[in-house]
Amino acid sequence: MLAIRKFRFIHHFLCKNAARYNTTDRGVRGLYDRSAEISRSNDDMPISMENPYKEEPKGCILCNVTVDHKNVQLLSQFVSPHTGCIYGRHITGLCGRKQREVSKAIKKAHHMGFMSVTLKDPSFMKDPNICHIKHME
Amino acid sequence: MPRYELTLILKAMQRPETVATLRRTVETLIERGAVVRGLENLGERALPYKISKHGIRHTRGGYFLLDFHSQSEILPAFLDHLKRDVDVVRPTVLSKETAAANTRCCVPQPEKPKDALPRRK
Repeated sequence: MLAIRKFRFIHHFLCKNAARYNTTDRGVRGLYDRSAEISRSNDDMPISMENPYKEEPKGCILCNVTVDHKNVQLLSQFVSPHTGCIYGRHITGLCGRKQREVSKAIKKAHHMGFMSVTLKDPSFMKDPNICHIKHME
Repeated sequence: MPRYELTLILKAMQRPETVATLRRTVETLIERGAVVRGLENLGERALPYKISKHGIRHTRGGYFLLDFHSQSEILPAFLDHLKRDVDVVRPTVLSKETAAANTRCCVPQPEKPKDALPRRK
């Protein structure tokens, strides 16, 4: 008990008079362990580098694809096979710009007589499903 | 680049009649001072929906694409002329200006740091 008290007193004393008693920047501990000098070099410090696990910036599926009102097969992939209505952004997963382009192109195709309004062309029914929607069979 | 693009849907006809219709359309255009760049045939196919025009209910049609440069003033009169043509089912003129090259297409916004407090609405 007394030993502990004494130790604490010395420790406290050294802390207070740090400059005088040549305690290092590691504090009073520098006086206690001799291995301070060995591990002072910066070999263990983390090297600053770019995050190696960084994911590539992902774009939407139509990222570098031009949307044309004549390309009825592409436009039909964003249209319901039952009603022919255009899917919303939460279903297609397109970015704002592309969703607007697709929507405008579909309406243009409707008006110009390229694409059907109330149904999806039967020859395009077997196309792969891009949109996040599951149809009941 | 072509300045205007005319999408012409013609009645399903025999070849000589289709040729005659296209010929007189292009001649009308040239008369009004347009420069025709080219004519593309997209084939004869079934229309997506039945179109009633000039007293006939059309089921099939021939699709043609006509690129031309012209003044914008002649277009309303030209479209009017096309609408009166019995063999033409649906004419549509679209301007074909090249859009500005879309840089940074679909580049996702930088993610906010997770420590950021949620915004109160």
